[in-house]
Amino acid sequence: MAAIEWSDGAPIYRQLKERVVAMLLDGVLKPGDALPSVRQVAAEYQLNPITVSRAYQELADDQLVEKRRGLGMYVTDGAATRLMSSEREHFLREEWPLVLERIQRLGLEPSELLDSKNKWGKK
Amino acid sequence: MMSASLKSDVVTARGLRKAYKNKLALDGTSFDIPVGRIVGLIGPNGAGKTTALKAMLGLIPFEGDLKVLGKDPRTERDELMNDVCFIADVAVLPRWIKVKQAIEFTAGVHPRFDAAKCWRFLKGTQLTPELRVREMSKGMIVQLHLALVMAIDAKFLVLDEPTLGLDILYRKQFYQRLLEDYFDEEKTILVTTHQVEEIEHILTDVMFIRDGKIVLNATMDDVGARYVEVLVNADQLDAARAMKPIDERALPFGKTVMLFDGSDPARLAELGETRNPGLADLFVATMKGTYA
Repeated sequence: MAAIEWSDGAPIYRQLKERVVAMLLDGVLKPGDALPSVRQVAAEYQLNPITVSRAYQELADDQLVEKRRGLGMYVTDGAATRLMSSEREHFLREEWPLVLERIQRLGLEPSELLDSKNKWGKK
Repeated sequence: MMSASLKSDVVTARGLRKAYKNKLALDGTSFDIPVGRIVGLIGPNGAGKTTALKAMLGLIPFEGDLKVLGKDPRTERDELMNDVCFIADVAVLPRWIKVKQAIEFTAGVHPRFDAAKCWRFLKGTQLTPELRVREMSKGMIVQLHLALVMAIDAKFLVLDEPTLGLDILYRKQFYQRLLEDYFDEEKTILVTTHQVEEIEHILTDVMFIRDGKIVLNATMDDVGARYVEVLVNADQLDAARAMKPIDERALPFGKTVMLFDGSDPARLAELGETRNPGLADLFVATMKGTYA
């Protein structure tokens, strides 16, 4: 069984949703792929099925998955693109300003950070 | 969203009262259990858990109004038992019985038992037809018991410390089977256990019982929304106390953890780091002074 640690910070259904989102972004789940059934996920992760249904419902509301009658949930064709644009927007609006602020506070030069010949950019 | 109020309740209990010699095991206990839920009944030893279960199963006399699947367990126990199953820590399978005989016997006495289904549930276990209960480990006995019960497909399943004394593999498997092969929105499970951490994500609802009274009865969603634990910064102690925490404990290095019920999350976040307490934390805080 996959070991999974739920954190105390957010509701479990949201953490489950985030896991699926991460798998979509990483390309582990592709358009047309089936999600495991609510029952399977509930049993495997020892969650109540209502929690799992709720995560799936939110993914469906975001149009990342769709219900096919009698068959279950499938990743939609546009899922990756839709997700990429919303994740980009989130990064630019929420995360990047904070990163930029920190870069400036530490007196670093953004262009130097991105220069691969520069010592900080080296891998 | 599914509306629980439209569905009938599996259990309605009003003012249950049961006295043993000089102690009240149930003291005006009232609660409802809607269909399609997995409810945890959690309480310290001697709080009245088992008495409440026995009342629902019609095993003891008591005072008050109680309906289980619309029936009074005191007067309609036989009909009720067609739709209710029970697994307790106390083994009820005779030591001499073989797997095969246990299945044949259940098929003979229970109209809704499906023997083929039971054999299917036993696939992948070490339980073979000729094996006797006396030759089984505790975990195997529970496996057999669970397979028998799930093959009855009862509407209401009552579990009293079902995994007590089992190793972690059997415990995980027990709940996994239950979720995979038994539970659906037409079924209802009531479970008592001391291993709160293990089942808290499985539960949809939780009840805390103390001294025969239900002191908390909420959906797990409500619990998550209502209760917040704050690691209060030293300079915020007075401000935090003014918000009336229901519990407070000091940690080494000057930090204090406080538990709040229904306070504004935005204001709590100003006091320090916040998190959702686990059921175990909540239980300890609620039951303080029980054995004092």
